[in-house]
Amino acid sequence: MNLSIKTAQESGLALCPKCHKLNDMDLGAGNSARIQCIRCQGMFYARKPHSLQYTLAWNIAALIAFIPANLYPIMIVYSMGIGEPNTILSGIGEFIDYGLYPIAVIIFTASIIVPLLKITGLFLLVYRVHTGVRLRPDKHSKFYHVLEFLGPWSMLDVFVVALLVAVVELGFVTSVAAGPAINYFTLTVIFTMIAANSFDPRLLWDKKQGCENAKEENDY
Amino acid sequence: MNITKNNKQLIACPQCDALYDTPILKQGQSVKCTRCGSVLAERKIDSIKRSFYWSLAGIMLSAPAILLPIMGVTLVGQYHHASLLDCILALIDRGFFMIATLVFLFTLAVPFVRLLGAFYITYSFKFNRLKPSLLHFFRAFHHLDNWAMLNVFMLGIVVSMYKLLDDTELSVNMGLLAFILWLICSTMASSALDQDYIWQELENEFVD
Repeated sequence: MNLSIKTAQESGLALCPKCHKLNDMDLGAGNSARIQCIRCQGMFYARKPHSLQYTLAWNIAALIAFIPANLYPIMIVYSMGIGEPNTILSGIGEFIDYGLYPIAVIIFTASIIVPLLKITGLFLLVYRVHTGVRLRPDKHSKFYHVLEFLGPWSMLDVFVVALLVAVVELGFVTSVAAGPAINYFTLTVIFTMIAANSFDPRLLWDKKQGCENAKEENDY
Repeated sequence: MNITKNNKQLIACPQCDALYDTPILKQGQSVKCTRCGSVLAERKIDSIKRSFYWSLAGIMLSAPAILLPIMGVTLVGQYHHASLLDCILALIDRGFFMIATLVFLFTLAVPFVRLLGAFYITYSFKFNRLKPSLLHFFRAFHHLDNWAMLNVFMLGIVVSMYKLLDDTELSVNMGLLAFILWLICSTMASSALDQDYIWQELENEFVD
């Protein structure tokens, strides 16, 4: 690993997360000290405090909310007064029955694969940072950015249901109602987004640096 | 390694904390972190002017994009259409208050406030009306960064069109065109905004 790169933390500097201004850290105060940015006057910490714990907590909440999101119907289609409830998975099955494969793939990716990938991915990142086992910061930070980028796209299903509820409103002939799963599904998406925001990618590099320093000391 | 502790000459990578000397960039250039590969700093072309006009266009388009019907369906002689605002009202009508609030925030309030914010900041720069309160204003502006989801809503429109195409007669209204233009304007306005430059200028003006 490239040890010739010096980090801001080692030089006693801390980066303001909002305006990207380097501030002096109080010597000896460590990462948990609150710093007021000299440029934007905002309060911040050199590293997000308790980042791993917050990420883990939001992640578990997201996982719990994901269970009812898949069990309850997300949408109920009424035609001639008869209601037909649809869960997320049965909605995808319907697209496959009609032969609309691209749409089925998009919905499946956005509402099943992405939330699960985000939740397991963040669990993995937290575990790797905590233990330092097989930690590769370059790969893992790229992975984190993919997770962060994918987050909002899971809202797709919620927007589709909102649109269908508003557009398909033809009285007795046909109408669409939202089901209880939509609440839980939205919570899953929001929770994973907050979890990803709570994770501090700089911890990956800190841990690696720490491990390598410890190894060097052992070698001597 | 001989790094002097002059903060004005240094920048750090926001993703991995690596420290670098501040590069001198021309318009259109950007620098990447050698360790993690994320963009460290960039200088955008004509940032203030472009962001000003895009956000102005976006503000003018927001009324038709929100209020005009996006699409309508016809089935057995009955016709019904809905706009972005109707989606939110329909959800309130059915008692889904949380979803209605979130859809309102992500597809209407946040994009609109971001456009207004970008407009106010670039207006102040363009006509040289810088105030110290802009420091706080711009910091608050950053809080909204992750929460605009117009592009996701656009994909939602496409998917629900496919869904409706099958068993109803679908008609597309002017609202869709306005919404697409609104999406383009708000994306361009926020991507043209050069945050490093704005912070640097505000600092030169107001911090000691």
